[in-house]
Amino acid sequence: MEQTLVAAAKDAPREADLAFDRLYRSSRDDVYAYVAGLLRDSAAAEEVTAAAFERAYRKRNRFDPNRGEPRAWLFGIARNAALDELRRRGRQAELTAEPADQDSFGVAEGAEHSERRLTVSAALERLQPSERDLIALKFFAGLANAEIAQVLGLSESNAGTKLHRAMNKLREACDGAV
Amino acid sequence: MEPFRDDQLIADLQALRPTPRTQFAAELDERAAAGFPRRSRLPRLSFAQLRVVPVRRQLIAAASVAILVIGAAALLGVVNRNDSHPQSSGSFLSLESEDFSEMEGSSEAPAPATAEAGSVEDGSSAQEAEAAPVSPSANARSVRHRDVERSASLTLGAEPDDIPDDAAAVFEVVHAHRGIVLSSVTKQGAAGTAEAEFELLIPSARLGDALGELSAVDEVLVRHDSTVDITTPPGGAADLLRDSRARIDSLLAQLEGAELESEREAVEAELRHERRRATRLAAKLNRLNRRADLSPVSVLILTGKPEADAGSWGVGDAFQDAGRILAVVAAGLVITLAILGPLALISLLAWLIRRAWVRRERRRVLS
Repeated sequence: MEQTLVAAAKDAPREADLAFDRLYRSSRDDVYAYVAGLLRDSAAAEEVTAAAFERAYRKRNRFDPNRGEPRAWLFGIARNAALDELRRRGRQAELTAEPADQDSFGVAEGAEHSERRLTVSAALERLQPSERDLIALKFFAGLANAEIAQVLGLSESNAGTKLHRAMNKLREACDGAV
Repeated sequence: MEPFRDDQLIADLQALRPTPRTQFAAELDERAAAGFPRRSRLPRLSFAQLRVVPVRRQLIAAASVAILVIGAAALLGVVNRNDSHPQSSGSFLSLESEDFSEMEGSSEAPAPATAEAGSVEDGSSAQEAEAAPVSPSANARSVRHRDVERSASLTLGAEPDDIPDDAAAVFEVVHAHRGIVLSSVTKQGAAGTAEAEFELLIPSARLGDALGELSAVDEVLVRHDSTVDITTPPGGAADLLRDSRARIDSLLAQLEGAELESEREAVEAELRHERRRATRLAAKLNRLNRRADLSPVSVLILTGKPEADAGSWGVGDAFQDAGRILAVVAAGLVITLAILGPLALISLLAWLIRRAWVRRERRRVLS
């Protein structure tokens, strides 16, 4: 991601707004997908996504490109907003108990595909929330390992290792369900 | 169904990726175009909603408020305590009491100084300085009657030509009140050079009137009054002198009855010693009486700066003014820091605690 939220001083406000606009357009669906994957609730995901963009917009002038990529910065804000939402609603128990919102997963195509995806969805729910967080950042938000590391405050190799373990657990859970 | 391969699993996960509703995406785009107008972030809590707030959170809020209240109360307490101990020296037109810590001989150490105006007016008679015997009534007496030494200094401003007339007026006031001029210096000349200085002793009983008349001689620039409690405690100089005189009488009686020469010599030697002691004690007592009866007054008559410099304002004055302004600003800053510092510290502490708590809760949500 080549975008930057920092611009020359004389046209800083306009350039920062444009940069944020580009970041918004390129990340809107990814942020929603990540938040919905974490919250498992489409209505709450919409609220949190909007709140996250609002927070990011207010802080756009404080973004420091030396501390990481804009997308990592944005997903850090979205993650905090999602965790705050979970905290507020005391929904930690629901994270592991509530069935996934099937409408939002686009289950279609053949019966075999549909069955596989239901299996994967059920296996996802059996994962630890922190493991589901990693998988959502990688496959729903589409972040690179380096960006995931920035979001979580880990080294890139550590983030990759944790993601690998989470995927192994997911595969085992899927195989166990078969 | 076949076992899951990595590429299949990834494809399934990507297929499971949630997508936003079209209407939501459109609304969000509108808000983005409008610069994300702020929504109400603090919904009003009804009483019913408040009851749902966890007890722990309510306790934290209550503790935070309590800390703030205690901090503010402590701050006010410090401010009030400082206000109740105003600085007492060097103030214009101030009546001032000073601890009197030096007396001749430890047995004559005075009682602590008092600032009561009544005690100042009562302390006029030296004869009353004789202490009562040590008895319960002694304390009561010491409360009723105190011997007070008063002193004053007066700085007057005058024109150079008025110095002789003002000096004469000072002498008149002193004589009118039966005071004593210990020393006087009068200098004639231009403004800044001409001045007069007087060291006076005024009967304490008439000090108030005399100071009033001296203040009327010319423009008062500075007036400084002070009082010192010099009440002798029980067992002080007066008691010792009475005992010494009784001892002399006793020795004289012994001398009359002495029959042997050696006995007479021994009594006479002791008598000489006791008489010397009585003389010293009487002198001390006189000095104390004099301090109570006569109040030292310093009068200084100044004529200001020389005229050549009076209207000029130079670099030195500029530096002085700048220094004064900086001192006032610095004092203001120190006071402001003293007030805001603790509040900022408490706020910072509360913010750090809240941030650590939020981070811990976020980790706990995922654990």
